[in-house]
Amino acid sequence: MTDGTDLPAWAAILTALFVVAGAGLTLIGSLGLLRLGSFYQRLHAPTLGTTLGTGGILIGSMIFFSALGTRPVLHEILIAVFVTVTTPVTFILLVRATRQRGTDLPPPSPPEKNTKDLAH
Amino acid sequence: MPDSMFLTFVLALPFAGCLVAGFLPANTRNVEAWLAGAVALAGLILAGALYPAVTGGAMIRTEVEWLPALGLNLTLRMDGFAWMFTVLITGIGLLVTLYARYYMSPEDPVTRFFSYLLGFMGSMLGIVLSGNLIQLVFFWELTSIFSFLLIGYWHHSAKARDGARMALTVTASGGLCLLVGVLIVGHIVGSYDLDRVLVSGNQIRSHDLYLPALLLILLGALTKSAQFPFHFWLPQAMAAPTPVSAYLHSATMVKAGVFLLVRLWPAMGGTDAWFWIVGTAGLITFALGAYLAIFQQDLKGVLANSTISHLGLITLLIGLDSPLGIVAAIFHMMNHATFKASLFMAAGIIDHETGTRDIRRLSGLYRLMPITATLAMVAAAAMAGVPLLNGFLSKEMFFAETVAEHVDSILDDALPYVVTLAAMFSVTYSLRFIHGVFFGPPPTDLPRQPPPLPSWMVVPVALLVSACLLVGIFPAATAGPFLDTAVRAVLGSDVPPYSLKVWHGITVPLLMSLAALTGGVLLYRALRGYLSSGAEGSPGLGRLDSQRIFDWSMVFLSWRAAKTGVDLLGTRRLQPQIRLVVGAAFVAALWTLYRHGPHNGLHYGLHAGHAESSAFDPVLALVLVWLAGVWLAGAACAVGAAYQAKYHRLAALILMGGAGLAVCITFAWYSAPDLALTQLLVEIVTTVLILLGLRWLPKRFETIDVENYRVATSWFRRGGDLAIAAAAGLGLSAVAYAVMTRSAPDSISRFFLERAYTEGGGTNVVNVILVDFRGFDTLGEITVLGAVALTVYALLRRFRPAPDSIERPEQQIRESERDDALPDGQSGVALADSLLVPGLIMRLLYPVIMTVAVYLFMRGHDLPGGGFVAGLTMSVAFILQYMAGGTRWVEARLTILPVRWIALGLLFAAFTGIGSWLYGYPFLTSYFRYEDLPLIGTVPLASAVVFDLGVFTLVVGATVLILIALAHQSIRTHRPAKADVPAPIAAPAPALAQAEGQ
Repeated sequence: MTDGTDLPAWAAILTALFVVAGAGLTLIGSLGLLRLGSFYQRLHAPTLGTTLGTGGILIGSMIFFSALGTRPVLHEILIAVFVTVTTPVTFILLVRATRQRGTDLPPPSPPEKNTKDLAH
Repeated sequence: MPDSMFLTFVLALPFAGCLVAGFLPANTRNVEAWLAGAVALAGLILAGALYPAVTGGAMIRTEVEWLPALGLNLTLRMDGFAWMFTVLITGIGLLVTLYARYYMSPEDPVTRFFSYLLGFMGSMLGIVLSGNLIQLVFFWELTSIFSFLLIGYWHHSAKARDGARMALTVTASGGLCLLVGVLIVGHIVGSYDLDRVLVSGNQIRSHDLYLPALLLILLGALTKSAQFPFHFWLPQAMAAPTPVSAYLHSATMVKAGVFLLVRLWPAMGGTDAWFWIVGTAGLITFALGAYLAIFQQDLKGVLANSTISHLGLITLLIGLDSPLGIVAAIFHMMNHATFKASLFMAAGIIDHETGTRDIRRLSGLYRLMPITATLAMVAAAAMAGVPLLNGFLSKEMFFAETVAEHVDSILDDALPYVVTLAAMFSVTYSLRFIHGVFFGPPPTDLPRQPPPLPSWMVVPVALLVSACLLVGIFPAATAGPFLDTAVRAVLGSDVPPYSLKVWHGITVPLLMSLAALTGGVLLYRALRGYLSSGAEGSPGLGRLDSQRIFDWSMVFLSWRAAKTGVDLLGTRRLQPQIRLVVGAAFVAALWTLYRHGPHNGLHYGLHAGHAESSAFDPVLALVLVWLAGVWLAGAACAVGAAYQAKYHRLAALILMGGAGLAVCITFAWYSAPDLALTQLLVEIVTTVLILLGLRWLPKRFETIDVENYRVATSWFRRGGDLAIAAAAGLGLSAVAYAVMTRSAPDSISRFFLERAYTEGGGTNVVNVILVDFRGFDTLGEITVLGAVALTVYALLRRFRPAPDSIERPEQQIRESERDDALPDGQSGVALADSLLVPGLIMRLLYPVIMTVAVYLFMRGHDLPGGGFVAGLTMSVAFILQYMAGGTRWVEARLTILPVRWIALGLLFAAFTGIGSWLYGYPFLTSYFRYEDLPLIGTVPLASAVVFDLGVFTLVVGATVLILIALAHQSIRTHRPAKADVPAPIAAPAPALAQAEGQ
């Protein structure tokens, strides 16, 4: 583990701010996933974590490692790019599936014969 | 020593030829024949050069150490007896090659034929030259396999397939018995070395296990030599091409059984058991074979049964347990090989020329093929035991031996009469063979008129027949010295006096011969009417048909018994299976604990060890709390998966993935990044693959069987299952706890940690272990992985889903409904629509993931990564493409040949290993150094990287192969049933017809 004791104070404060902010946003998103009413509302909540939350933590990480001078900050940018590119795929697929099953929206869904679980 | 090198060549050449012949292009009859002939000729010449070294009881021996600790070495050993067989195998092999060149039709795939023939030649030489019993059994089974392949050469004919299968079943099971018998002998003697075994005769005979060993070895020998009651496979083997029959099923392979009997006679013979078993089997076979041969209508059938009979004669001679009997047996092996091979070839010529082998249809062929007829007559006369031919000499020795007194018993007293009778039969069938085919009126209903015979086809027959004549007229001058050499090798110094002369004066054997000859002629005259009446089969033996017994037992074993077994023990339901597996595991663990528990003071039992307690560290404590949260989540996932497993498979699968992620995080925290990475990728790939397979699982029983449903039994069963699950789970936790709370013993890991960089050139110890220290293990593992992938592919290729999952899933039905609702309803629009954005992103990620795979691969030797992980990453890229675009879309654009990837991976890995041989190091020694590359800088270059490349390639191939096998299911079975679709193609047809009509 990298030892954080050599970190200058400003960097430590900034890192802490960003990391806590990111983590807090992610937590709020997760709570939202738990508490919100309908499927589509719930879908919005975790995006808080995948965008701002991840961003905050990544910026914190960039500041931390740049200040220590251990390595360049490229990794975080790549992580940000990949998270940004790939999470929408999950959500799009989820929304599409829900729309097709038509559980939340009335038409234009086909007449529903039964409401079996997806597993069948 | 050049002699031992020659010996190695004799054995190695045919196998090398087998490989070369197999890779030659098809329809190269001449090249193949030249190759096979050259190999056989080389063997013959080498054998000739080795002759001085084996005369007078001397022998050549060469040994290559393989597993000296187990007494398993590649030992080649040639004495006079083995020399005689080597000459027979290579010499007749040469003639058969020449004959086959003209016999095989240009349309036949001769590549396969000559390749097998050479392989067989090598295996047979392996049997006779083996100086180690295990090695002998190995080659023994190899001859069975080649015989199987050669009998089934024309595999489009059902008869050939059945004959091949029967021959393999009988001889290979005999070979397995032989293996066990040889193991027992090795146990008694303490060595598998043939020379040691041969001098330990008294030790073996007086041992308690003598009888089982003898019985098992005899089972091997008697099945191979087609002795009663295992004789039935040989006539069925006649479906093979005639050169094969001449070579394997008369001259060489079937002689392996009697060869082994003679070989082991000094060690195992000389007991009552030997006399009774071997003698009785030989006598019955001799008489029965001759009797059956009379009534065959197929030329090859006559010869096959006659071969059985003559092998019975040899077996009987060996069973008589006297040195003179052994002399006669060896002499008759030589003689029988010459005249029977020539007779088979003659029968093949007749078949080749006239198109039939049915004696009823053939007659008067003397006019059409005088040379063949003359040669066949001489050979058949030798078979019948007519004076001035070699068959007469050995038969006379045989008669003399049967007259002599052995063990005082009924068998011994009756022997001269029975064998005279059987010899009479053999005269009858020889006469029938000649008279029925070559004499009488010209043939009328031949399938084709004989074309001119290629003159080279007769040459092998002529050579063999002249050998019969020469040996028959001048036995002492021609066969004498060779026979003496062979006999001396078996009997050692106490060779009994015997004389090879044509005329011994008026003796009992001569009278027996005369009686057999006259009796045979008379019997033929008496039976002629019956035989030409066209009856199939032999009278009086209808119920003694061992072939029918064999068929019955095959059906019984492979069908009825198997079905009963499945009915008794098998179940289609998963629950009883898992109950059984988990229960068995629990009982096994409990048993171990119990055994080591009380008496050993619980030292190996379940109790917590004393972990070193360290000072309290707040940061560590915090992390542990966090980890505990991860573990709780993981455990919840696992329990949830178990809870959902029965009714919601999808949910259970996803929850299982959650548990896997918890494991992955744990690995990462406890400094096992390699494991974490692998776990992550394995988790992803398996989840996706199982998701793909989920659709094909049978559905659960929707309804409960109300009539048989009892609430109490149900609760009882469920409670029992819960108890089993809880006991097994808690038990495993307890064991894990006990292991983890004690300090690890000082094992080999320290060694690896210290040597990984200095000797393997990598800082990633796990990877260095995988590709370097334990490279051979890895090679084995990837081989297994490849085999598993191929098995999955093979299973799924012919997979038909259960009836309840044939129907299309609801999602797809809904999709096509939406397609139909569209104005210009094409199929697949809805799907393409809903996957538009995700599909694009997945496609764009394809090169990115590949780059990551390359990156993981390159850094594998020093940092977490490596071939396995990189391979999995690469296959994720392919999986994503299949998910994004569908099977058809991907395969229209990408050509993935996963089977070749697998093959390439194995080759890479194996050749890296072999490469170290070139530098004089053991297999898979790794080499490394640092190299400056332009642009990239200093990189470590280890030969292990190439090995890792093999691992990578194979993993990609295996995963993608399984993926494709699963993906193709969805294409294949999705054809809409005809009733569902209102014939969209047929609909426009009337309109079209109308338009045309106007």
